[in-house]
Amino acid sequence: MSVVTSPTRTVRSAGVRDSRPPRLSARRLAPYAFVLPAVLLFAAFKLYPIGWSFVLSLHKTVAGVDTFVGADNYVRLLDDPLFWTALKNTAVILVVQVPIMLALATGLAVAFNSAFLRARSVFRLGFFMPMVTGLVAYGVVFSVLLNEKYGLVNWLLSLVGIGEVPWLTDPLWAKISLGLALTWHYTGYNAVILLARLQTIPKELYDAASVDGAGAWQSFRHVTLPGLRPAILLATVLSTIGTLQIFDEPYILTRGGPDNATLTIGVYLYQNAFTYFDFGYASAIAYVLAVLIGVLGLIQFRVLGDKS
Amino acid sequence: MTTPARGAYRAPRTGLHRPGRGILLTSGLAIVLAAVLLPFYWLVIASTHSTDEIFDSTPPLLPGGDLGKNLSSLQETASFGQVVLNSLLIAVIYTVCAGAVCTLAGYAFTKYRFKGRDALFGMLMLGLVIPTQVTLVPLFKMMAELHWLNTYQAVIMPNLALPFGIFLMRQSMAALPDELLDSGRMDGCGELRLFLRVVLPPMRPALAALGIFLFLYQWNDFIWPLIVLRDDASLTIPVALASLQGVDDTDYGAILTGTAVAAIPMIIVFLALQRHFVSGLLAGAVKE
Amino acid sequence: MDMSRRRVLGVGGVLAAGAGLGGLTACSGTGSTGAQGGDVGDATKGSITVWSWQGPAAELRALVPAFNKKYPDIKVTVQDIGNPAIWDKITTGMAAGGAGLADVLHIGVDYLPGYVDRFPGQLADLGKLGAHKYRDSFAKGLWETVSPKGEQVNALPWEANSAGFYYRADVFEEAGVDVGALDTWDDAIEAGKKIKKKTGKYLLGIDKPASQQDSANFFQLLLQLQGGFYFNTDGDITLDSAEAVRAMSLIKKMNDAGLVSDISGGWNALISSIKKGTAAVLPWPTWFGGIIEETVPDQAGKWGVRLPPSVRRGGATAATVNSTHLAVAGTSKHQAAAWNFVEFALTRPESQVEIYRGKGIAPALLKTYDDPVFHEPSKFFGGQKKGEIFFGALKAPSPAFNYTSDYARALKVVTDAQTKVLLKGADPAKVLHAAADQLASQTGRKVAR
Repeated sequence: MSVVTSPTRTVRSAGVRDSRPPRLSARRLAPYAFVLPAVLLFAAFKLYPIGWSFVLSLHKTVAGVDTFVGADNYVRLLDDPLFWTALKNTAVILVVQVPIMLALATGLAVAFNSAFLRARSVFRLGFFMPMVTGLVAYGVVFSVLLNEKYGLVNWLLSLVGIGEVPWLTDPLWAKISLGLALTWHYTGYNAVILLARLQTIPKELYDAASVDGAGAWQSFRHVTLPGLRPAILLATVLSTIGTLQIFDEPYILTRGGPDNATLTIGVYLYQNAFTYFDFGYASAIAYVLAVLIGVLGLIQFRVLGDKS
Repeated sequence: MTTPARGAYRAPRTGLHRPGRGILLTSGLAIVLAAVLLPFYWLVIASTHSTDEIFDSTPPLLPGGDLGKNLSSLQETASFGQVVLNSLLIAVIYTVCAGAVCTLAGYAFTKYRFKGRDALFGMLMLGLVIPTQVTLVPLFKMMAELHWLNTYQAVIMPNLALPFGIFLMRQSMAALPDELLDSGRMDGCGELRLFLRVVLPPMRPALAALGIFLFLYQWNDFIWPLIVLRDDASLTIPVALASLQGVDDTDYGAILTGTAVAAIPMIIVFLALQRHFVSGLLAGAVKE
Repeated sequence: MDMSRRRVLGVGGVLAAGAGLGGLTACSGTGSTGAQGGDVGDATKGSITVWSWQGPAAELRALVPAFNKKYPDIKVTVQDIGNPAIWDKITTGMAAGGAGLADVLHIGVDYLPGYVDRFPGQLADLGKLGAHKYRDSFAKGLWETVSPKGEQVNALPWEANSAGFYYRADVFEEAGVDVGALDTWDDAIEAGKKIKKKTGKYLLGIDKPASQQDSANFFQLLLQLQGGFYFNTDGDITLDSAEAVRAMSLIKKMNDAGLVSDISGGWNALISSIKKGTAAVLPWPTWFGGIIEETVPDQAGKWGVRLPPSVRRGGATAATVNSTHLAVAGTSKHQAAAWNFVEFALTRPESQVEIYRGKGIAPALLKTYDDPVFHEPSKFFGGQKKGEIFFGALKAPSPAFNYTSDYARALKVVTDAQTKVLLKGADPAKVLHAAADQLASQTGRKVAR
């Protein structure tokens, strides 16, 4: 079927470019000028802090004096059961929650873009709303909703005859609640990313598919999904990064509990820096995290990448 | 060349298409939406109650009469009117400036091949993979040495080159066919004009998404403004709301009201920008 | 090898300036050095900033007019940062070498030793400004907290909360239990069984899954009543001492007997459970009395208050379970003026009486308790003299509890251990042993066994 071809593949047109030498110097300089603000701002404000935290990860602070300890902080990580617990919990979220959320987001984006859907603005806004809730209120609202004894959700469930669910007090349920909260918070966000991309898929491709006799599912499979690929890659990479660094939800819902069932690397890192004042160790965690993200990101680019 | 179709793409009429389908989809999604909005419904309800009523043994489900009281206590203890203006000012400036920085960079990284491109992009992506929590202290120290504490540039400047935004635009720009650029150049467009006249218009959905995310990012950012801002009169909304938290005397009524009110500008921004989520802006650009 | 952070930063500053941020004076080094060289500024002139949160901030603000009568040329700005936000703000400033800190900082006992130990010199030595004369003015045990070695004084105590035992007198009466006759916690457990049988109410509530930072409060109280703590005076770990195991075993016994309700879910869950009357006893410290009065005003007269039973028969019933303090930043250019404000707020009984009247914040300053306000019978608590009860606790001899710079880590492993006991029925001795080992490997401290 002809529509299998990615509609957005960029066509190499070096010949056309090279045919206009007078413009060449402007074209050579243009990209540098375009990336200059970003690069300068980043170099000025982020490069040094990033380097500083790496240097710090090689130091141990005792009574206010920084001592170079080489890889000690990294070695300590290997022997730290809490780090491994955090890593495991984070991996579970990554493997279970992220795919579900992205599938839901894709479905939502397609629905948001569908002519069949009435009152589209209302739906788009509605699913986006969870994003706007500030952190303090988020904590209050969810603890009121999910409280085992006094919570609204259990009250609603009791109306249909379902008993008290230990949303935040049981280790397994706490993980499920965390997953639900994350899905609630970020599905709309990913749907917006996908929606923006969906709208660049040329109508002609759908027409061609329809001429070829493709049904709705086949159109989705052969036109929508390939067209969405760069955005799915983007959403996957961003969700991976967000998940590996996840802090807000476990921190405000369960403080990583009960008994570390929802402890994530982000929470553990924060605790080491801002509760235990061990910035060296926290920095080591951050760099291990960064390497993990980098490796996963590269794999995702390989698997989903558009080779551009 | 077909005329670009505005609005959603209308699916081809296939055997699956029945008149009831729209109602089915709409009502199904409405049920899911109701569940999604439950926390938000309760937030709005709670903002009309006193802290005492919010934490009653059964949480309130219907509006109460304390919205005015909560608002005036917000105004009194946190100068909320001023704080909302601060947040608006910061978020609007940030969104416009960061939007320009990220869009330009994302465009250049996708549509030009130049020496050092991958190295520069890789450097920017460092910001995405290193958790901000460990860069807060050195960045804060830098702000202190620059004498920028308690200034808005300290809130805005360090995050203008937001790696997320650059990444988003880089991925989005890939949808733009090179032929469009080539024909623009053939028409004698300079590089900047090309960007403004040829590249930006069909990228409207992506720009809208970027704008929403940047505004949201700045609007909800908590820890950085908390650390660098000092005067009560200069605070942003999340920082001011956090100041209402105490050990045993938190005014939850006011905090929840503040959160609900703070959602309004965000809703307006979203509604204004989502109008640009329209299909077909690139229609006819690809000649297969 | 020492890392000269300032030099590294200087490079960063040059980079920032060189990178096109022209016109800005970079790396002048202000903020990281302060008045530590002995310049404490003018004692009667200047402008100082105070960081605190909610209620205490409001009370400090209310003191400013009186303060300005004495020191008209010191301008005081009290900022309400909010709690827990204030800890992120202070910690960042401390870690950045004291940059941007306020002159006066309100610090809880759970953070103070960590700040002193991890960031030496970031808090001014109040001893040099005249604090030593107040050595005996505060509740027992607190001076050791603010001045562990007896030389440098890192802060002055403000609020001192003693362990309390608030109870529903009507519930005890209904169950036929004489609350005054409860000498030990074992007695309390027996009483709890009767109460559960007769009234269906729990003895007390604990945040079982540890959804909040203070979930191990009750465990710590039982430990402190035995004179024990997480560390001994040498700083060695005593998490699995006989006292600690005894405390955790008591909790397990209560829980296994079905006497402990779960109050997880934060402040709202706690308030809701009080309104619902879930438990007969609230083993909370001094400050909580006011909260009960505000939460269930219609239950006036039905409540009583006493000090908690002891763990061993004849053992202590008094323990200072937490305290907050005012410190002066080492980088402050107005240390002398800041000290004058701290002294005015914390060592004058008149100031502390006002603060107590306003927000019910229990003063550590013993002389405050001469005021009649502490000797009035309380209508809400059945005519008992609540102020006197807690004053008695503050005067009682108390060991100095060594919080150390690793208190937060200790709290974390203890809380996890408690959760294992309460939710999974784990063995107290075993989980505490494991917790002590874990803490030792995290901190490099020895376990005292």
